[in-house]
Amino acid sequence: MLEDILTKQKSFFDTGMKTVLRGQESRFRRVIIQNGNLVVNARSEESGICARAYLNGAYGFASTAEYSEEAARKTIEAATKNARYLDKFNADKKNAYPEIAGSMITSPRMIIDFEQKRLVDLCKEIDAYIAKKYPDLLSRTVVYREDTMEKIIVTSDAADGHVAYPRCTVYVILNMASAEGQPVEVMDSFGGFGHIEDNYSELNGVYEKIDELYKKLHDKAEGVYASAGVKTVILHPNVAGMIAHEAVGHTVEADLVQGGSVAGPNLGKKVASDLVGIVDFAHTAFGDKAPLPVYIDDEGVPAEDAVLVEGGVLKGYMHDRESAALYGVKPQGNARGYAFSDEPLIRMRNTCVLPGKDKLEDMIASVDDGYYLLQTGNGQADLTGEFMFGITMGYEIKNGKLGKAILDTTVSGVAFDMLNTVDMVSDTVTWNTSGTCGKKQAMPVSMGGPAIKCKITIGGR
Amino acid sequence: MNIGEIADKTYEYLKTKDGLKGDFTISETETNEITMKDGKFTLFRTLFDQDVSVRVIKDNKEGSASINKCTEDAVKKAVDDAIVSAQAGDADECFDIAPGMDPEKFKMGVLEPDIDKLMERTEELARDIAEKHKKIKLIEMFAKYVKSHSVFMNTGGTRDESDCGYYEIYAEFAGSDGDETTGINGTVVIMDNLDEKFIDLGSIEKDLADTENSLKPMKVTDKFEGDVIFTPQCSVQMLSFLLGNTVVDPAIIAGTSVWKDKVGEEVVSPLLTISSKPWDKRIIAHEVHTQDGFRSEDYTLIEKGVLNCLATSLYTSNKCKVNRAANSSLTFVVDEGDTPYEDMIKSMKRGLIVGAVSCGHPGPNGEISGVAKNSFYVEDGEIKGAVIETMISTNLFDMFKNVKAVSKELLCNGSMVLPSIQCGGVTISGTEG
Repeated sequence: MLEDILTKQKSFFDTGMKTVLRGQESRFRRVIIQNGNLVVNARSEESGICARAYLNGAYGFASTAEYSEEAARKTIEAATKNARYLDKFNADKKNAYPEIAGSMITSPRMIIDFEQKRLVDLCKEIDAYIAKKYPDLLSRTVVYREDTMEKIIVTSDAADGHVAYPRCTVYVILNMASAEGQPVEVMDSFGGFGHIEDNYSELNGVYEKIDELYKKLHDKAEGVYASAGVKTVILHPNVAGMIAHEAVGHTVEADLVQGGSVAGPNLGKKVASDLVGIVDFAHTAFGDKAPLPVYIDDEGVPAEDAVLVEGGVLKGYMHDRESAALYGVKPQGNARGYAFSDEPLIRMRNTCVLPGKDKLEDMIASVDDGYYLLQTGNGQADLTGEFMFGITMGYEIKNGKLGKAILDTTVSGVAFDMLNTVDMVSDTVTWNTSGTCGKKQAMPVSMGGPAIKCKITIGGR
Repeated sequence: MNIGEIADKTYEYLKTKDGLKGDFTISETETNEITMKDGKFTLFRTLFDQDVSVRVIKDNKEGSASINKCTEDAVKKAVDDAIVSAQAGDADECFDIAPGMDPEKFKMGVLEPDIDKLMERTEELARDIAEKHKKIKLIEMFAKYVKSHSVFMNTGGTRDESDCGYYEIYAEFAGSDGDETTGINGTVVIMDNLDEKFIDLGSIEKDLADTENSLKPMKVTDKFEGDVIFTPQCSVQMLSFLLGNTVVDPAIIAGTSVWKDKVGEEVVSPLLTISSKPWDKRIIAHEVHTQDGFRSEDYTLIEKGVLNCLATSLYTSNKCKVNRAANSSLTFVVDEGDTPYEDMIKSMKRGLIVGAVSCGHPGPNGEISGVAKNSFYVEDGEIKGAVIETMISTNLFDMFKNVKAVSKELLCNGSMVLPSIQCGGVTISGTEG
């Protein structure tokens, strides 16, 4: 656990600047077994200190890989010097943003480290299950990925904190030859917040999901191309969560709103069907711990939920302290940095479409000709709200019943246009707990939602 | 203690471990980065980082560890962690390191930065954009100087010492005219001097103009099979997808590559010659040894459509009885063609010029569909306008066999050298398609 050597360095903060000092340790563990071969077996650790100083509308920032009192003082000094250097170029000086009440915030748990052998043995055990039960696979890959971080945050004019984000995920990738001899692939991930014993102390649940994954692979090996065009679809919660993150979430990050996103002129306006609500949860969702609980951000802001869309109306943006002041709202703890050397950016935490009242089976039954889209590999969106998701698993829906599986395809649309077509929302939320957002810096996030019925453009032959 | 001395201590420590072979890199990096938002400097970062990466093989078991500290104790801990990881693994005779090479010192790029000049050039670019591209909203720019000093050693006796420094400018922008806005576009150039105006480098000027021209986009309203000209930035995206499923370690070990047994055969159009050339003079910062510890050399992966070799590591070479690639960076240098870019456009009956494809990573069967971004519709040899909500679908293997032309013009941005590539037989569908 990181020792707090930073709090006592507050006396070195420049009184004319708003300063944040952050100490951080990040740990990465990777094991990859491919067709029974252990091809990656790696551990890495990085730690260090960064300081950020705000003066008249610009920031000085510095970081060092050392973690010591002397390094902290030098880092504060370098960040302060950089802020002054930039101030020389700054003709349009801004007032400082408001102070936040001081407090000390800690997360309920810290990081537990495990020997590499435990991680390798876990992957071997899962790989052996797949190899024995499914010998007809073209290839199999088991990946263990752990990316945990612990942070100490010390501020001049906000809350201080000592928090940790332990997270581990097992990915299983299966390949099989289709009837035409072409390789087809499916992937799923298991795990989430916590360490290896939290998530994999017994593996029956993982094996059940691998069995389901194998069945999907079989279906996909006999799959057909989707028919291109605008279609009625049921989006599985995995895909709906991606919509919440990519298609809506990014457009309502205040830095992108300032960059000209489509959300800018739509605040307070109807942007979606009445059935649609989207919230970026801080640490608690629906009465339970959120998949990636954030209690304080890297600017010292106590984390609160950010309501983005309510009853189809765009209610708010996500902010850092500076943008919150610009828009005259309270910051809610969305500024986070990935590595110790990264400045905090406006980031999502646990972004979720709120559940409705429909049953999934009724939703499928209501579609005459469309698709049920279950799995997405990745997604992207831009300022206009135009988005795309890669679909790696899905089925045709014909006359209210599931038909053949479809081969990999892509769906796209314009977020607010698509959300206006939502006419059914299921009553059960499922979370994707292993997301990594790639906005300049990588960042652990989670996303979730119910199944939703809408119209979307699907790619195909 | 400097990192050279730390490296020598690490080598001695490794040598105390019986029956062990391995390699390690120790590096120090200093980064100065300036952020400009909406035409104003908003952030100046100075980052000091260190890294120690160790790989060991003991009893035919491999393990690796890394830590961002260069003290003697930290380095010993990294070695010990790597050994513990190896002990947890499986024995495999295919794990190996390169044999020892003669010690070498390398100096690359610019080692004495001029940060004030970097600030001037960045301000100048913001001014040039404001003056010449009035419908561009400059969202963010990052100007940086990165300097690193590293030592690589292995138990075979190799000792490579490298000093490298480079400048980089990255601009992110959108077209903006009243309530009209385009999607985000970005452009990047790596350089070893600040002699030229940034706007004249790489494809910065063209990317800005293309983005301005993307305001008031049109919609393609049907589905058809046509030609696509991939810009150099998009060509590298498509080639990365293609090669990522065919010639690199995961595809070969998994056995999912459809090219595994096709070395010596024609796999793409004869118009394409694709090389990995870290030593090309147009590449600014590059690897000097492979990840396995061999001296990096340029090689041609595909020559006039014929697959010369795979891009595989020493481990995969041993495991799958295939070649080992002469470098591990896959630094793209694609030969120019003989067709002027403008003639490529004139030759098109119906199709798109595509600047990026927003899509999922295609699977090993090469099927790909995605949204055409920063793209323009072409009909009867004329650009009719930018498009939105337009998708392309194709099979990468089929598409790269159906290359119609490769441009004479090349994009050199310091990290790659690529032409535009025109392919036929791509399915293009609009919202009503």
